[in-house]
Amino acid sequence: MKLTLTNHNFSTLLNSSFINLTRPFCSLSLSSSLSSSTSIKPQVPIFLRPPIYSTKLNDLKKWHNWAKNIAFSIGSSFVQSDNGPDSTILCRELKWFIEDVVENHHSLFSQVGDDNEKVKMRADIEELYCLWKQRIEERKPFQYIVGCEHWKDLVLSVQEGVLIPRPETELIVDLVSDVVSKNEGLKRGVWADLGTGSGALAIGIGRVLGDGGKVIGSDLSPVAVAVAGYNVQRYSLQDKIELREGSWLEPLKDMEGKLAGLVSNPPYIPSKEIPVLQAEVGKHEPRVALDGGIDGMDALLHLCDGADLMLKPGGFFAFETNGEKQCRELVDYMKSNKSASLCNLEIFADFAGIQRFVIGFHR
Amino acid sequence: MAHKIIFKPTFILNLKQQFTTTTTSQTHNISHCHFLHHPFFNIKIRPISLHSTTPITTTAAATANHGGYLDLTDDDLMRQCEMGTFKTSGPGGQHRNKRESAVRLKHLPTGIIAQAGEDRSQHMNRASAIKRLRSLIALKVRKTVDLDAYSPPRELLQILPPKSSIRGSDIGSQIGPNNPKFAMGMQALLDLIFAVDGSVSDAAKYLGLSTGALSRLILSDDSLRKEVNDLRASKRIRGIYWYSLWAQIQ
Ligand SMILES: C[S@@+](CC[C@H](N)C(=O)[O-])C[C@H]1O[C@@H](n2cnc3c(N)ncnc32)[C@H](O)[C@@H]1O
Repeated sequence: MKLTLTNHNFSTLLNSSFINLTRPFCSLSLSSSLSSSTSIKPQVPIFLRPPIYSTKLNDLKKWHNWAKNIAFSIGSSFVQSDNGPDSTILCRELKWFIEDVVENHHSLFSQVGDDNEKVKMRADIEELYCLWKQRIEERKPFQYIVGCEHWKDLVLSVQEGVLIPRPETELIVDLVSDVVSKNEGLKRGVWADLGTGSGALAIGIGRVLGDGGKVIGSDLSPVAVAVAGYNVQRYSLQDKIELREGSWLEPLKDMEGKLAGLVSNPPYIPSKEIPVLQAEVGKHEPRVALDGGIDGMDALLHLCDGADLMLKPGGFFAFETNGEKQCRELVDYMKSNKSASLCNLEIFADFAGIQRFVIGFHR
Repeated sequence: MAHKIIFKPTFILNLKQQFTTTTTSQTHNISHCHFLHHPFFNIKIRPISLHSTTPITTTAAATANHGGYLDLTDDDLMRQCEMGTFKTSGPGGQHRNKRESAVRLKHLPTGIIAQAGEDRSQHMNRASAIKRLRSLIALKVRKTVDLDAYSPPRELLQILPPKSSIRGSDIGSQIGPNNPKFAMGMQALLDLIFAVDGSVSDAAKYLGLSTGALSRLILSDDSLRKEVNDLRASKRIRGIYWYSLWAQIQ
């Protein structure tokens, strides 16, 4: 079947594509003036900052007690209002917060030590008060507070403007790893991660590909491209991962029919559900990373066309979806419109048992 | 060699309490995974069936020949497990920010359950859970030992103190409880103690150790001590404790 980019959602995508013309971005040249994302300075996560602040143990303990009391006072009120975190989760976050901030956190509260003893920290004590307030009062996600998320065996930098990678998405890397372990050609080929966000999938996949294998990560958001570039550099994958700014397929025009693999976790939440999301998500994470249009399928359907157009024969694709309904619709769409090019379609569940991923191959 | 699994389901609850530190607020239901094995470890994937599909196939998982579990690589061991996270309410994915990353593994051949939830990433929790599973298997899966022709396997010799008279100099330095290889030595030691009906003094003779030295080894690891004492209790023998070390242990 010949490719026709005429699905019912394409016009909306086209509009946004026109505004955001392709701007190639190379993570090797963060200083390049070609890209708008180069003017964005990615924030350094707290755990990577130098421990230049010094505080009396006693003052740190005071802050810790204050923060813990607030966490306890929340009880289950966030759970009731929007299924947000309860005090158990907040206390766990507080523990991780200290791990990231305090240099020698292991011996911290166990020692009988002198309360006047100095503790070395990566952030000022005043800042700690301010950050924990933001966590509770503004419901700012913990990951934006500390500037990182632990995802697979990686610690990825994140900041406001970039989606915090989810544990579910880890599975896509596992699926790719499984596929390339059996196919040397795909292992050495060029892969694409569309809507790369923090670069999580691009980096995860970059690390399972063999010599010669490459990943192109692309995103519409300049902040995402800048943060992904920072993460790529931190894992020294500049030679393997190239980042490009632009809308979906546009920055990959040169790759038509050449990709060994295509993965994406595109925005898939139906628009009307955005206002009722948990505050950490709805009020703080970028809407462009979440909102998938009326039924949440806008980007996913466009990506089906992408798989058809961009993959080489035998190439593999994996997409994350909102759940069973979207998985079924996507498979139906591919079966009725792409059966000449896409085959071996499968649906996979995440670890909560929710049907989450659609995968398949190009004929 | 015949293997016996002396794993009683009633143990699960105790073990769960002892070996896991998951938070209390979560529902401890394993979710029904639609595939048996976890692809993280390059495993056979079981897709939800769609018409006219060819599933991705990998070479079959190592056959579970009852036992030998600890010889398996993490990947192969994982292939014998069913994995679930803690049941989450709601649609998950992009909707959620809650770090629900606790992991629960059920080793299907033995029914042993291991879980972990205290790390910041699901990936790391999976690694901790599999480590726990290994030590639980070592503690719970027994193989029969032929005492007439008994010669301790190398894994066991490696965890013995240097003063053992049967421990050759080629065995290397003593492996302690923090070493991942300790589990296999512990398993072989429990096999022997099981074979001699819980008698530490009899087991010590087979290992060229004094009863006191073997008791000290047993006491060096909490889970090992508990397992030996459970066995002794089932045979109506007094348990081993630090304070009774001075006394004659039968
Ligand atoms: C759900 S996030 C996924 C981010 C990352 N891949 C992950 O899994 O954590 C979706 C991403 O798609 C990007 N995006 C949204 N619209 C886009 C478009 N038209 N073209 C390219 N990327 C887009 C967003 O900026 C966001 O980074």
